[in-house]
Amino acid sequence: MKKYNIFFLSILLLLSCKNETQYLVKIEGKQIPITKEIGSNNKIESFIKPFKQKVESEMNKVLSYTKKDLVRTDAILQSSLGNLLADLSFKRANPVFNSRTGKNIDFAMFNYGGIRAGITKGNITTENAFNLMPFENTLVVVELTSDKIEELIQFLIKQKIAHPLSKQINLAITSDGYELKINNKKFDTDKTYFVLTSNYLQKGGDGMNFFKDPIALHPLDYKVRNAIIDYFSETDTVFSKLDSRFIQK
Amino acid sequence: MKRRKFIQKSTAAATFLTLGGLSLESFSNIKTKQITILHTNDVHSHIEPFAKNHYKYPNLGGIARRAVLIEKIRKENPNTLLLDAGDIFQGTPYFNYYGGELEFKLMSMLKYDASTIGNHDFDNGIDGLYAQLPHAKFDFISANYDFKNTVLDTLVKPYKIFNKNGIKIGVFGLGIKLSGLVEQSLYKETKYLDPIEISEDISRELKEKEHCDLVICLSHLGYHYSSSPTKICDLNLAEKTKNIDLIIGGHTHTFLPKPTIAKNNIGENVLINQVGCYGINLGRIDFYFDSDKNKASKGKSIIV
Repeated sequence: MKKYNIFFLSILLLLSCKNETQYLVKIEGKQIPITKEIGSNNKIESFIKPFKQKVESEMNKVLSYTKKDLVRTDAILQSSLGNLLADLSFKRANPVFNSRTGKNIDFAMFNYGGIRAGITKGNITTENAFNLMPFENTLVVVELTSDKIEELIQFLIKQKIAHPLSKQINLAITSDGYELKINNKKFDTDKTYFVLTSNYLQKGGDGMNFFKDPIALHPLDYKVRNAIIDYFSETDTVFSKLDSRFIQK
Repeated sequence: MKRRKFIQKSTAAATFLTLGGLSLESFSNIKTKQITILHTNDVHSHIEPFAKNHYKYPNLGGIARRAVLIEKIRKENPNTLLLDAGDIFQGTPYFNYYGGELEFKLMSMLKYDASTIGNHDFDNGIDGLYAQLPHAKFDFISANYDFKNTVLDTLVKPYKIFNKNGIKIGVFGLGIKLSGLVEQSLYKETKYLDPIEISEDISRELKEKEHCDLVICLSHLGYHYSSSPTKICDLNLAEKTKNIDLIIGGHTHTFLPKPTIAKNNIGENVLINQVGCYGINLGRIDFYFDSDKNKASKGKSIIV
């Protein structure tokens, strides 16, 4: 009985408490910068440590070698690093595309702005691949009409920027227009072309609207970064040079 | 409903009995209650501090430091909530190697209470997010992503209600439109619903039906888009809704010099805060409640 009374009393008290409305009277807001003066939690640090060691050893793994600096700035219309990026993507992607469709890619094109870092001469590590391509972009093949290829060429000529192109392209700006060969054949306006690019550019990224509505779109489910890592892993020494893929005559 | 109320009361009574005299004292004397909201956004897998020679954020950030700060604040006020406004994933090789496992495990160690979902949290696909969920000991909330036909069905709730020292805090989540931002093959059948309509419904439910003392929106919509000012963003959301007290934002990596005080559609103040990105800052908002009507009648002051 006594127990019951206490219980009842508590409920009464609680109800009166509950009825006491709480009013919001003051709000204070600020942000606190996370600086070293705050100190560091050892438990968290030691939890991170094994993850950190694994990531660091992976990132420092030597995949390949280059005798010279690979940069995107060694010419106006092309670059050693851009040429390498386009050629290695073509090399890694074409077997995938061919096994799925029985067809071959005609050429590869990416954007100058997508080359995020150069590679210093010496060992090439996984970290170089991450710095070069920090995004999760994937490789796609678009089938384009010759009109769209024409648009693509005009875009290149107008911008005069070293957008990465693979070696299957031979484009020369001339005094009265341009000369174009694809795979050593004259540009054929009756033909459609298979162009390798990234999912980002395919959506019209960096103003490349000619990729937007292709005849057909073939996603390869292959990350650009993974193509880079795979190519470096299978290549003892990377060579890349400037050639005649995009020049001013 | 009646049954639920009874159960609530009897649990409360039990708590009261255990607390004994302490509770009585808190009834009669201490009338001010403080709720502290701590928040981050767009941490993007930044586990460690930036390098000392970093060109932009030298020696800033780092989750082990954030842990110290949060622990200290929690000690000062146990009635604290820790929230994240999305884009936990992507930005360092930790994500590429572990797919978000480390981020979720560390956030659990820091005792995060809830997070909403950012567009980059779909970077390994909705399946990639689903696979990491067991590592998160906190809830993911999103009111305007319909996950019905996806693996996340029933795993993400529209809102969560927290009870801290008798103050009821309703927190609901909002996500950004995914099409055009994320590949459909990644978000699959996730449906994006209109944030304003959803916010109107949920915040009304939280205030009027659930009687929340505070309603917080955890948003990954972005603070504001100067190039398309009518696009849905935190500023527009605040203006077009009511019943929201605080919007914690993300996505645009906006470093606000101080929290923004906006007006809602009935002229009441709404606080909006976002703390940049990469775990460089921790946001802190303190709400003070008082049972004294006279104090309350003077209106609420906002100090930012």
